This record gives sequence, C-alpha cells and structure tokens, in this order.
Amino acid sequence: MYRVRFHGRGGQGARVASKVLGTAAFLDGYYAQDFPLYGAERRGAPVAASTRISEDPIMERGVIPEPDIVIVMDETLLQDPLTMPLSGLKPGGIVLINTTHSPAEAKAVYKITAQVITLDITKIGLDMLGMPILSTLAGGVAARIVGLSEDSLKAAVEKVLSEIITDRKLLDKNVAAALYCFNAITPAKIELKTIDTNKKKSTVISLPFEPAEISSPAINATGNTPLRMTGNWRVFRPAWNYEACTRCMICVARCPDGCILVNEDGYPYTDYDNCKGCLICVGECPTNTLGKVMEVHAKKVTG
Amino acid sequence: MLTGNAAAAWGVRLAEVDYIPIYPITPQTEIIETLAGWISNGVMDSRFVTMDSEHSMLTAAGSASATGARAFTATSSQGLLYGFEMLYAVAGWRVPLVMVNVSRGLSSPITLEPDHNDVLAARDTGFLQIHCETCQEVLDSILMAYRLAEDERVLLPIFVNLDGFYLSFTREPVEVPDVEQVRNFLPLYQPKHAFFKASQPMAQSAAVLGGLAYSYFKYQMHMASQNALAVYKEVCDEFETGFGRNYDTIEGYMLDDADYVLVMTNSFSTLGKAAVNAARERGLKAGLLRLRLLRPFPVTDLKAAVTGKKAVAVIDQNISIGKGGILHSEIASCLYHEKHRPLLLSFIAGLGGKNISPDEFEFIINKMVTGADTEDAGTAQLLYTDTEWQEMGRLKGMAGKG
Repeated sequence: MYRVRFHGRGGQGARVASKVLGTAAFLDGYYAQDFPLYGAERRGAPVAASTRISEDPIMERGVIPEPDIVIVMDETLLQDPLTMPLSGLKPGGIVLINTTHSPAEAKAVYKITAQVITLDITKIGLDMLGMPILSTLAGGVAARIVGLSEDSLKAAVEKVLSEIITDRKLLDKNVAAALYCFNAITPAKIELKTIDTNKKKSTVISLPFEPAEISSPAINATGNTPLRMTGNWRVFRPAWNYEACTRCMICVARCPDGCILVNEDGYPYTDYDNCKGCLICVGECPTNTLGKVMEVHAKKVTG
Repeated sequence: MLTGNAAAAWGVRLAEVDYIPIYPITPQTEIIETLAGWISNGVMDSRFVTMDSEHSMLTAAGSASATGARAFTATSSQGLLYGFEMLYAVAGWRVPLVMVNVSRGLSSPITLEPDHNDVLAARDTGFLQIHCETCQEVLDSILMAYRLAEDERVLLPIFVNLDGFYLSFTREPVEVPDVEQVRNFLPLYQPKHAFFKASQPMAQSAAVLGGLAYSYFKYQMHMASQNALAVYKEVCDEFETGFGRNYDTIEGYMLDDADYVLVMTNSFSTLGKAAVNAARERGLKAGLLRLRLLRPFPVTDLKAAVTGKKAVAVIDQNISIGKGGILHSEIASCLYHEKHRPLLLSFIAGLGGKNISPDEFEFIINKMVTGADTEDAGTAQLLYTDTEWQEMGRLKGMAGKG
C-alpha cells in the first residue's frame, strides 16, 4: 500500500489534490481511499489530506500517521510547529516540496534526511491557471510518484473538477497543468527500509479524576494570540509606493485583520508578521499606491 | 398547603438565587410567576429576566453560572427540547446550574400531562437528575441540588424533576424551612474555576480537535457524576440532620421483606405504594422501590435493594420507541452480573399522564407471582384496559375512523 499525505493551507487545494490522486488510483484499478482533516474552515489555515492506494482492500481510516510520501504544498508549513508535515515519514520515503529550492538546498535548509523532490508548483499554477490554486498540480506530481497512468490522472482531474467548477476553459487548463506537473518531475524510487519493530507499545491507563478547576475546558493563560503569526500564509504581499499615496486611510479601514498601521509621517504600512495576503487593500486603494509582489518564502542558501 | 410549583419557587427563594432567566410553558409557568411576584414585591432579591426562547434561557442561565452567580431556571417538555443543545454545552462548562423540569409528554400528538420522555431524553447530557414524589420533596430537593452541584468534587448542573399537573398543580401540606437554617446547610457559592473578574481574564469552553482533549473533558464529567453518588450521601445525611427528612438515592416502601417489587419514579409512586398496601392485604409480600436519583444512576444501592427478590416489575412512564422502557433497560444492565438477580418484568404505563388503576397494579403483581413460579418474565407489556380501548374506539369514531 502507498500512503500519501498532503499538507497545504486552506484554499490551496490539498483536499482536492488527495481526491484527484484517489480517483486516479481507483481508475487504474487499485483500492483507494482519500480523506481530509481540517479545523474551522478558513483560508490559510493548515490542512492535511490523506490518500491510500492498495492492491488489497484498505483496512485503515483517518489521517495517515506514517506516510510513504508527503506532498508539501506550502513550504512555510515545514517550520510550523503544529503542522510538522514530515512527522512519521517512513525511512526511505519521499517528500515533494513546492519550492524554488533545489532538492539539495531544501534538504539543507529544512534538515531533511528523506529523499526530496522539488518543484515550484506555485509558479506553474500562476503561469498555467493564473491563480495559486494547486490542487490538480499537486495531484499530478503525486500520481507520478506512486506510478499511476497519465490517462487515469487526466480522467481523475476531469471527474473531480467537473464536480466543483463549471468553467470549461479553467478545467482544461487544470488538466494541462496536472499533466505538465506529472511529466515535470523525475520520480525517486520509494525504498522503504525495515521499520524498527521495537517501538514502545502504548499502555491503556485509568484516567485520574481532576477537579473542574482543571478539567473544565477553560483557558486561564493569557496573551498567547500574538504568538501565532499569520504572515507566512501569504502567496502575494501588498507592496507600497508612497509617491502615489494620498494618506486617504481607506486601506487602514478596509483591512479585515487590522494589519495596516500608520507611521509617524502619517503613511500607512503593513504589519507583515500578521498580514495574510488577502490583498483587499490592493483592491481598495484608489491611487494605485499598493501593488502585489509574489512571496518567495524560500530563503536563499548562501555559500 | 402548596402546589409542587409553589414548593419549587420556595426552594429557589430559600436558596437565595442571584439570577433567573425564564421562558414560560405549561405546566411550569406558575414557578416563574411566583418568583416574579416575590421579586416584584421586594421579598426576594434576584435578577429576573424574560428571554426569547428556552435556548437563550439556558444559555443565559449557564453563562451566569459560569460567572459565579447562583442561577436557576425551569422549563417543561417541548421547552426542554427547544433548549436541548445548550444542556450539553452548559454541562460541559462544569457549572452548578439548578433547573426544574416539570414533566409533560412530548409532541406528537401534543399533550399537557406527564410522562418522563422529556427529562429522560436529557439523561446523557451531564446534568444530574433528582426525581420527586411529593411537593415537600420538590422544595427540599432544590436545596440539596445546589449543595450537590456546587460541591468541588462534582460541579455539574442538575435537574429537579416533578410531574406536570399531578404534582405541579397539586396542593398538599409543605413545611417551609427557616432561611437561617437553609443558609447553614447551603453556604454561598464560591467557584474557583468559573468567575468573572476583569483582573483575571479567562476563556470558557475552548474548541478542541483530534479527540484527545475531547475524550479527557467528557470522561472527567462522567467521573464527576460518579463522585456525586458519594457526595449525595453526605448531602443527604446533613439534610436529615438539619431538617429531619431523609431522601436517599432510592426510597424503599415495605421493601426489606418484600418478594415482589414495583420500581417507579415520581408522583405516580404514591399510587404504587397504595397498590403495595392492597397486595399486602391479599397476603402477598409486595414492596416498592422508588428511584429518586437517576443521574448518576445509583447502581450499588439498586443492586443491594433488589438482589434476592423473587420478581421486580419496572413500571416505565416513558417509552424508547423501538426498544421499550428506558429504566427497565438501565436496571437490567445493572443486574446482569448478579448471581441472585431477580426476574425482571417490564411495563409501560402512564404515558401522557394516563392513570394507573388498582386493577392494573394487581395485574402487574399477579404477573410477578406467576412469572416467579414459571421463571418467565414474559415480554414488555403496555398497561391499557378494555374500557380504555372502548373509549379509544369512540374517539376514533369521532375522528372519522369508525
């Protein structure tokens, strides 16, 4: 069985990617199962999705704890302490990262020991679809890694997307982009090493009683919200050209997250630690002071 | 002389409750009318707020309780169901809200008279449940309920249940305790885990994902509810010392030497006791066990009371459609592992307040006697008489179904 886990951000298409892969595997005659897990639905929040592909009936459910393959659709998640996309990855397994880095750079920057394949899927999405939605593209690379057929991938994209979009041209572009990604990578061979069977067994305990002071679902700790920065959710960042700015403050009023502040000279500026990149400010600005610049989250490796 | 509703109001007044959000419904409304009258006259000092629905009412009551106020509310039947979502929520907040339910059968068809499908629908919510037979017991149980719910080993909300009409509108003598004596028994509520202080902010009722935290919180509620069994005994003893009336988790009536036992709850138990008297006159060793505490379920007390008896007939004034009597199922599961478990018979009776006549009780007791001889409990039986069937025929005729 191949167990593939996708990690992305809400709106990026991790869930649909897992469906494209599951459908393609089904069409190739395998047993398949796909499953998303996410919290309160909002764009930008981490999402994980799992696809299982097997020649035998699948006797598993839920999130894949020990994947053979991990598809990282947003590389900022690699440094997210709550997501931990590589957790449980089997020795000898494969990680595909959506990044501008080369595999060697990615391995060095993110300290990955598993096999790494890299592809700048975001750029492909922007070039071929005109938007950073990566569902069919990530599905395409995953289909290649597990060795599914091109025909089934094409039919899977057609089937999955026709349930959620009506724009025929966009659907065709997705088919083309998925096939492009399918052929853009050189798949590594999955060489799973023997898994350590001396893993510590879990013991069932008797839960001790704790008074309501502890065991009611209340939070007494204060001031932890600012620790959760959301700036790495951006695909595009708002960029400022102060020569055109009239200090009208419309951007300040329209920012849904209070991420536009005003400096000593009365000019607005972005709190990039928390700005999620919704670009409402860019749309609202009457003087074209604000433009958008694509984020490159990958930090250049020096030396 | 007080009605069950007036007795409930007296309990609330003596408990010196801070906050009472309400919404009217028959047959509960008299409770809130009585409280409103006292607050309006100035003899009672509470904040009384009329709400737009039972859902809002329960939200307000639970929230007030979560700020450290002593809160009370009351409803019945359809109203309870309308607020049902909030029962689970409020119980999860671990706040000691005391709530009266005046039992009334559930629609459809709509009715006003009692059975217990309303309050028993809430048996899995985390609310504790005390069920009352007399008006005196209603007043006393509200005082005991606050003590039990506010105990740090428990901290769960609680229902005090009384039957609509048969208790809510029935007047009988009630002794109203002295407020100073009540203050001794029931001191001020001072929570450590639920409060409203600007200097000490807290977030109540966090969201959790993944099941790990959810399982912890839910099972802690179960353990707190289990703790309530021992705490109840302490509260019961103290109440008896202070007020001279004993209310154990179960009440036995001629139970100790009985061979044949009726199990009942709430106001119809009085009719069962009369039937026990009649059976004793016939020379049969009959007795009655009245379940008073339904959540937590008094498993140990129940087992001790009925093991070794020849036969036990559970009279369920409720019906789990597709299964049968709810209490019969619960009692059967308690007794499954007992070596000397009695024959356990199941009867459905008193739905929508239908009377249980002496003839029907005699039928039940005879079934126990023959069942014990033949070791056959038979199948569950609805108590419905030939005259009632004839009357139903007349009603069907009027409805054009002749």
